[in-house]
Amino acid sequence: MPDETVLRVERVTKTFGPVRAVDDLSFAVAAGTITGLLGRNGAGKTTTLRMINGIFLPDTGRIELLGAADVAAVRDRVGYLPEERGLYRKMKVIEHLLFLAEIKGQPLPRARQRAERWLERFELADKRTARVEELSKGNQQKVQIIGALLHDPELVILDEPLSGLDPVNVVLVRGILQELRASGKTVLLSTHMMGEAEKTVDDIVLIHRGTAVLAGGLDEVRAAHGTDTVHLAFEGDGAFLTTLPGVARARLDTNAAELELRPGACTQELLAAAMERLRILRFEVAAPSLEQIFIDKVGGGTPSEPAAGAAEVRR
Amino acid sequence: MSKVIAVLKREYLEVVRKKSFIIMTILGPFLMAALMFLPMLLVTRGLEEKHVVVVDGTGRLAAVFSGGDETEGRAEERLDLPGAARQARRTPGSLALRTEYVASTGDPRAAAQPYLDRMLGKHGEVKLDGVLVVAADAFSNPDAELTYYSRAATDFVTQERLAGMVNRAVSRGRLAAKGIDAAEADQLLRRLKLEPVKLTRTGEEKKGGELGFLVAFVFVALLMIPNIIYGQEVMRGIVAEKSERVMEILISSMPSMSLLSGKILGLAAVGLTQIGIWMAMGALLAGYAGAGLAMSGFDPSQFLSVGIIPAFFVFYVLGYLIYVCVYAVAGAISNSEKEAQQFMGPLIMVMMIPWFLAMPIISNPESTLAIVFSLIPVFTPITMFMRIVVSEPPFWQVLLSVALSLGTIVVMLWATAKIFRVGILSYGKRPTAAELWRWLRVA
Repeated sequence: MPDETVLRVERVTKTFGPVRAVDDLSFAVAAGTITGLLGRNGAGKTTTLRMINGIFLPDTGRIELLGAADVAAVRDRVGYLPEERGLYRKMKVIEHLLFLAEIKGQPLPRARQRAERWLERFELADKRTARVEELSKGNQQKVQIIGALLHDPELVILDEPLSGLDPVNVVLVRGILQELRASGKTVLLSTHMMGEAEKTVDDIVLIHRGTAVLAGGLDEVRAAHGTDTVHLAFEGDGAFLTTLPGVARARLDTNAAELELRPGACTQELLAAAMERLRILRFEVAAPSLEQIFIDKVGGGTPSEPAAGAAEVRR
Repeated sequence: MSKVIAVLKREYLEVVRKKSFIIMTILGPFLMAALMFLPMLLVTRGLEEKHVVVVDGTGRLAAVFSGGDETEGRAEERLDLPGAARQARRTPGSLALRTEYVASTGDPRAAAQPYLDRMLGKHGEVKLDGVLVVAADAFSNPDAELTYYSRAATDFVTQERLAGMVNRAVSRGRLAAKGIDAAEADQLLRRLKLEPVKLTRTGEEKKGGELGFLVAFVFVALLMIPNIIYGQEVMRGIVAEKSERVMEILISSMPSMSLLSGKILGLAAVGLTQIGIWMAMGALLAGYAGAGLAMSGFDPSQFLSVGIIPAFFVFYVLGYLIYVCVYAVAGAISNSEKEAQQFMGPLIMVMMIPWFLAMPIISNPESTLAIVFSLIPVFTPITMFMRIVVSEPPFWQVLLSVALSLGTIVVMLWATAKIFRVGILSYGKRPTAAELWRWLRVA
């Protein structure tokens, strides 16, 4: 059911005292997509997700969720993984999952069946009767992700779902998100890790200081930023790459570089120059990475001011 | 509704499975009994025997104190005792009093001096608890005085006992001076026994007022202690959910009113379970003890009416709901248990007022104080229940009390749910009045 909108955020503003955490924010999430809410720490992602879940009320603006103006009417059809992970530490894993299903209005027998299946899927079946506090942090997070999925919600909202997971689990969770999309569910996740987002999401909403600065399909967004970027992977000291003629801007990592070319610059000459001094593992001419676009958009220069940091209220 | 039950079930199981709950449930009655009987026992027994020297200026009281140990004449004296001492003397067991008689011909105060020194331990001699000085003109002068010296002037039981002994002898002596012989004097001085009888509206007569007093205290404690324990539990639970960050999940899954109701009802069920177990234990114990007591003429229906049990549950639930709201607010607006405790400190003092007033209210259940307190919303469940246990308040007052309690609960639950909703997510900062008002209207 593409093109159908499951979530519409319209001109929403939220302030905490003097801090404007979310400022005139508008975006929409289409059904059947994985949408990434991207932004730096303190950009207003968590506050936005909390407002969508009815935990905070927006000061102004409106939020339409699954066709309802009031979140309360549809909360059983939404799954939520809060940024502040939290479970009752003394409860057994299976009991806790059943409780989470029950408060989402699920009948127990069905919840039990689904919980067992998800535990299997997340490789936690042997931990089903362990107390939550006995689990590792990553496993606790997986339990909480199951809690967000257990009642088979149409829209799954995940605040930083991949942070704190090891690479195997990241792949596991990413696979599950893709399955959800394949079965027609919608996923909205927030992250500040652009590399992760690039591998996971279809659409992005980039927010900065509480407002959306960029939104759209990942591919379109990247295409709109040109196809004049060279992605390099190599062995050797690549410091000289930044000074090569034809390179307008360069971002250098260890054993990798992203070079933005001047108009008319020849990629073959660049490759030849690079090959002289480095062992080239990868050479690709493509759109800039999301990371680069992100830095361009929100500017590396102005770090999030303390006010924005405090915007994500906690502690 | 199913969500309320889910929360209720979780809260209930979490507390009931705790070791502390199981231990408290088993040991509670014993602790409570110990707390209640120990002080009484100690006051009566005074821990050990009292050693008193009687310095007699008249020189005529030797016969009274010659026996050394004194146990006679207790029944006659009991009604002279002031409240505290009376209560103390209620438990069986006699006060052990050893007297040492000294007849003095000169100034009895001067004769007493060595004993006073001894009492103060100046010679490092045997222990002495008190010195009673009888004025030389005790038989002739109606205004003559007895003076009792001791290191603590608060031992009413001993004082009253000594005064009773001397007074009886002096009265006898005075009558003898008028030509009445000793046997006749004893007849004249004989005091009548007073038997308290409680008359109910149905015309029943109930004796055992003293035990009724005790029973009233037990029930009031049974009513209040779980309220405070489980009120604290609600508060602690909310603070824990905030610090363990479960709150966000809960509050995005159900209205705050459902969450609050589930928690409150769950812990109310825990409290009722505990009291139920205690009562069953009590009944079992009473069943065993009952046979023996019945033979000795003890009849529990003399001080305990069956109507108290339903009244207890009604007022328990009403009192609990009022108290727990206050605790829930404290938990919701605090970030740590310590902070919540500080917030609760002064409020607990206010809520404990009925307990501090239990003594005057139970002894005067129809006084203006009792009636007024039993109709002040926050205090009404506990105070009215005290009155019901010891007397029969007018039915309209009982109804009014229940109605007032229900009204208070509705208002408090409503306000609590709102404050709860704002408070639980404002980590680190108390909600401003404006924010609170906004939530009161919207949430």
